[in-house]
Amino acid sequence: MTDILQILILGLALGGVIALMGSGLSLVFGVMRIVNLAHPSLIICGAYVSYWAFKLWGLDPIATLPIAALIMAAIGVLLYRLMFESQAKSARYSEMTVLLTFALAMIVEGFLGAAFTNTQRVTSPDYATDAFFIGSLFIPKGQFYAGVVSLAIIGALTLFLNYSRLGYAIRATTQNREAAELLGVNVNLISMVAFAIGIGLAGAAGSLVSFVFSFFPAKQWEWIAMLMSVVVLGGMGSVLGTVVASLLLSVVAAFVGTWVGATWSTMTFFLALFVILLIRPQGLFGEKPELA
Amino acid sequence: MSELLQVTNITAGYGDGPAILDGARLTVEPGKVHCIIGPNGAGKSTLLKAICGMLTIRKGDVVFKGERLNGLRPDQILRKGICFVPQERALFPKMTVRENLRMGGYVLDDTKLRDRRIDEILERFPVLRERADQHAGTMSGGQQQTLAMARTLIVKPDIVMLDEPSLGLAPKVVQEMFDIMKMMSKEGVTVLLVEQNAMMGLKNSDWGVVLDLGRTLFEGPAEAVLADPRIQELYLGGRKVA
Ligand SMILES: Nc1ncnc2c1ncn2[C@@H]1O[C@H](COP(=O)(O)OP(=O)(O)O)[C@@H](O)[C@H]1O
Ligand SMILES: [Mg+2]
Repeated sequence: MTDILQILILGLALGGVIALMGSGLSLVFGVMRIVNLAHPSLIICGAYVSYWAFKLWGLDPIATLPIAALIMAAIGVLLYRLMFESQAKSARYSEMTVLLTFALAMIVEGFLGAAFTNTQRVTSPDYATDAFFIGSLFIPKGQFYAGVVSLAIIGALTLFLNYSRLGYAIRATTQNREAAELLGVNVNLISMVAFAIGIGLAGAAGSLVSFVFSFFPAKQWEWIAMLMSVVVLGGMGSVLGTVVASLLLSVVAAFVGTWVGATWSTMTFFLALFVILLIRPQGLFGEKPELA
Repeated sequence: MSELLQVTNITAGYGDGPAILDGARLTVEPGKVHCIIGPNGAGKSTLLKAICGMLTIRKGDVVFKGERLNGLRPDQILRKGICFVPQERALFPKMTVRENLRMGGYVLDDTKLRDRRIDEILERFPVLRERADQHAGTMSGGQQQTLAMARTLIVKPDIVMLDEPSLGLAPKVVQEMFDIMKMMSKEGVTVLLVEQNAMMGLKNSDWGVVLDLGRTLFEGPAEAVLADPRIQELYLGGRKVA
């Protein structure tokens, strides 16, 4: 029984972090209908911000999270203007943008590799190696804090999307771009804002990831598959779905990791992606694809 | 001049594509119900999209209250007083009825005024009031169309343009939609609608506009258009008038 509770807690904490990693990807897909393959590489950028801030000045990665988020959001604005604004009128927008984000992912990896080498890094504040003990339960502080901060950020994002004017406009654009435009929403501006928020969320996730996982530039390839599976299971574009799917898959992966074997733990995500696409492509909260 | 909106021989198309409209014109007079009819693919929807600023007008003019609208964006044209309800997918399916209405007042800066108008609309349309907190996508076709039409009233527009509001609805429900349109026009909202069912549309309108192959064949009082032999001709070959 304690065993199960123990695995559950570890799975949920990691699931929270993965939910934050995926939420930006999901938001961007919802509004812009593009799969941003560069999302994990941008998470890694955020991770380096917090890593170096800790290494050089001893700043706590949770404290530098807002800075990483802001830097990445600003980069998001630049990327949007550079990559998507010019493509908006292209008839092959979807193909072009997928290829562009793929190219971006490799460019970012190249730059990060050149600047920081391919050494595995991990930010090491005291709590990263500490734990709470409740009876026979053991809760690593780093994962616990990261999970809690992630869920708090997602909570704030949800409030923002549901109750602010800008949030209304983002949701409206996600659900029906044409209707939103006809009601006076500047959908291009909203796309840019949503993209910037999505990349800002990548930066925020990066700060947390930096002390939960070890990372290096090429780590993105492992993460893109993992994030795709939570975003697809949740229903492309549904932030709530992404959260539920992240928690669900992480818990399953934690059980698989303990009972079947550690190598099978990540396989849970990849298998899930494959199976979901075959049997329920709209995911948990997504809409049924329309028959064209 | 008594016309509210005057479209004179416009040419328009999608992106860099061929001209879909070429020689489309129409006259809209205040307070009346206007109906654009014409065979499938005639360019009826395209004409409404050109008027509301979704397409670039390449030639000709759209003049509203004496002012040229050519080149304005949809949000600018909405603020001028022309509201467009596109065919079928006009709503936000995963927003509640109330949230949809709030989006309808997106351009209103005065949120108190917006909320008051939302309350008025919910008061007037019991079907919507009963479903105020239900997702729009879960309602029946007629209820969704009612919401789409009612939503336009929040900005108190001069002209409401409706693209095939009867599409996919049962005959009884279609009549309800026309009744709402008549009510709107009585209250001073000018209606410009596109209708696939020419007979039905014209019977419920004051003014008819006949469009074919992207150009206006003729326009006139609805009864006159209905009686015109050219209509029969246009709809020959499997296309029904009624
Ligand atoms: N988004 C679009 N892009 C390119 N061509 C379009 C688009 N929508 C409609 N068309 C073309 O414009 C023509 C008129 O279409 P439409 O205005 O929808 O006709 P109607 O509403 O009268 O049935 C058709 O030939 C159609 O193929
Ligand atoms: Mg049409």
